[in-house]
Amino acid sequence: MDNLKEDAIHHTAMKLAEELKNLSIYKSFYSDVQKLDPLSCLTKASAQWEKRIHKSLNSMCSDLETSLAKVRSQSEQEELTDKWNELSTYNLGVNPNMPSSVSGFATLEAERIGLGERVTALGYAPVIQEYLKKGSPQCLRAKLWAQVLGADVGTQHIAHFNRLKKSVLEVDLMIDKLIFKDVQLTASNDDQYFVFEDLLYQVMLCFSRDGEVMQHLKGCIGNPLNVTIKGRQTSVDSITVFPPSGIIPFHGFTMYATPFCYLYDDPVQLYFIFRAFYIRYWHKLHYISTHPQGIVSLCLLYERLLEANEPLLWIHFRNININPIRVVFKWIMRAFSGHLPPDQLLLLWDTILGYDCLEILPLLAVAILSFRKENLFQVNTLQNVDAVLADLSTISVISLLQLALMKPQ
Amino acid sequence: MKKNIRDRKHVRFCTDFDKSIVINSFQRRGWKEVSPEDDWNIYWSNTLNCRNIFNLENGYRLHDNQLINHYPNHYELVRKDLLVKNIRRYRKDLEKDNNPLAEKGQIKLADGQTVNRYLYLDFIPTTYILPTDYNLFLDDYRKSPQTMYILKPCGKSQGAGICLINKPSKLKKWSRESKKYLQHQLTSKDTYVLSRYIDNPLLIGGKKFDLRIYVLVTSFRPLKAYMFRNGFCRFCSLKYDTSLAELDNIYVHLTNVSVQKHGEDYNVHHGGKMGIQNLKLYLEGTRGRVVTERLFEEMQWLIVHSLKAVAPVMVNDRHCFECYGYDIIIDDNLKPWLIEVNASPSMTGTTTNDRILKYNLVENLLSIVLPPDGVPDARWNKTPSTESLGDFDTLIDEEFLNKNPEINSDRNN
Repeated sequence: MDNLKEDAIHHTAMKLAEELKNLSIYKSFYSDVQKLDPLSCLTKASAQWEKRIHKSLNSMCSDLETSLAKVRSQSEQEELTDKWNELSTYNLGVNPNMPSSVSGFATLEAERIGLGERVTALGYAPVIQEYLKKGSPQCLRAKLWAQVLGADVGTQHIAHFNRLKKSVLEVDLMIDKLIFKDVQLTASNDDQYFVFEDLLYQVMLCFSRDGEVMQHLKGCIGNPLNVTIKGRQTSVDSITVFPPSGIIPFHGFTMYATPFCYLYDDPVQLYFIFRAFYIRYWHKLHYISTHPQGIVSLCLLYERLLEANEPLLWIHFRNININPIRVVFKWIMRAFSGHLPPDQLLLLWDTILGYDCLEILPLLAVAILSFRKENLFQVNTLQNVDAVLADLSTISVISLLQLALMKPQ
Repeated sequence: MKKNIRDRKHVRFCTDFDKSIVINSFQRRGWKEVSPEDDWNIYWSNTLNCRNIFNLENGYRLHDNQLINHYPNHYELVRKDLLVKNIRRYRKDLEKDNNPLAEKGQIKLADGQTVNRYLYLDFIPTTYILPTDYNLFLDDYRKSPQTMYILKPCGKSQGAGICLINKPSKLKKWSRESKKYLQHQLTSKDTYVLSRYIDNPLLIGGKKFDLRIYVLVTSFRPLKAYMFRNGFCRFCSLKYDTSLAELDNIYVHLTNVSVQKHGEDYNVHHGGKMGIQNLKLYLEGTRGRVVTERLFEEMQWLIVHSLKAVAPVMVNDRHCFECYGYDIIIDDNLKPWLIEVNASPSMTGTTTNDRILKYNLVENLLSIVLPPDGVPDARWNKTPSTESLGDFDTLIDEEFLNKNPEINSDRNN
């Protein structure tokens, strides 16, 4: 009986398809659909999103009755200078009703360290990258990362950082409130990173003033706002890009910087490593673009990998009405920061540097789902899926990645 | 009264605390709660009740299926003055025997002074037991008047009664004002210790912290001690400041959670606690592996020797086990200092992670203390299997070392 029903449906479908093709408008309709350019779609989406953020900033500004940018008063500058080393105690008078923003010889280990020491002595970036593919020992990591990114600190770096600091002390930008809020809500509440909060305030504030970031990322980050600084005489100096870095922070932005605190206690070195990582990788995770390593492509890659390698899991998600990307998006967008414990996260970021790509992120996401699939099959609500995946403290990144990369396709 | 139970389902426990973590762990094993007057098999007692049980006058005798979580004279390790006395005696005894462990050498201090210190056993800050050592303190103070001291009552906990002293006049002022001190002076009972304050603690993020490490002892002679892998750092909520203005600010100087909990900047998400594994990660990343490993080895070393120091005087009752909370401060030369040992470390969880940690602690503790069949038995040989250690690592097992002398001689090298 069922067979007959199926055949009937099939024949009806064929018949409808034939009739559609014979419609007079069919030919022109078909050619119009082909013209839909994916690039322009995405560019449009990206521009619209940017417009929304700018609008949100402006309305936030009027809600708070402040200016986007203004010169700080003398007393405020003095206070901020005094408090520079302990900004966690600095009270910005943050409005609690502010709208929320958008949203890493004897033993094998000794052998590995010995090899690493030779690699760092050589100081040749491609060699370091090759070494980092398998993860670095913690004691060598700080040096290796600085070498491979070319972010070793010299006097000109210290001077640049001090200029940024001066800029923070002199001009109040409304996003400072966003930055403070973000550090407070993320790093300060996290038992892995709370001790570093004062360092993070300094780094994030200075980052926002760094025009070099915008220069490096020209073309990738849309069109930032230009605003006048209140209190400055009308001149070249009185207009600033808002913010100078061109990057508007959002909730969780600080988490791109927190793991570096386990490697560098000098704020200048910490700053430049974070900046290098951001310019090379992190900005791709939160700007819409067609870049093959951009967040959109990474999500697509995740979906393809999941469907191809874990089809039953893919179907299971569909059956329980959960969009598979929903489950892992926050991991990918934050490069797992705040989700993996620091030691594992640093190993993951080793591999990002080693393979010089972000595709490792969706790969790890799929590997984790695969690892926990038995538990995932047992649940059928989004809440329970999140519960299965909430605790990643037992995940061993390098082993999982090696397993995933060795899997026969 | 004496019941010969061989069935884990009939284990009975009692406790002097209403700590849910401990009680839940016991109940999860299907154990039944009874009162201390009933026939119990495991008693999670407070120190006072334990001392009463072992008080010869009471004539109470524990039977084979009874275990209790304190040693009768734990105060030898736990009271600040007795700890100092026992360590001093231990070092002197080793010196008399010409044991290389007790070797002394010249150490140059930060203020340029050269002093004679034990090279391997200098793990408690110089301490004066008051009032006996008062004149000794004055002598030393005159030699280096820039030194800061901390005054602590011997028998109190949770940061009570502590203050910082930077000159003898402050001590005199305090002693005049403190009636209790005068009272005890009359009875010549030592109740306070004055220790050199570690004013150069290692700071992370500009804040001072100390370490809480859990150490389980199941026997003193032979010494069997286990260290819980998941110790943690307790951070002050305010930045460290040695200025005179902040001398009396307990939120800057005292790391006790019971103190910090009341500070304005206390955060309930993390409770100022960071795991020791993350400390290790941070130090390895910023200072290198060699110094980090040395620090962690020195911490284990000081724990072992503090236990060896009291082992000869401890009543090694086989019904007893004890989980100590060691408080250690690391200075900015990455040298660890033993501040004190607690016999009843807090079993309350201040954050979610802390609760999980303490549940694990109790679970692993029980699996070490109980024989394989899960029934409390004082006659068991106290040799836990490797699996039953859980997150504990064996710190020292003298019974094993005695049976395998070739390992023993390696360690002494």
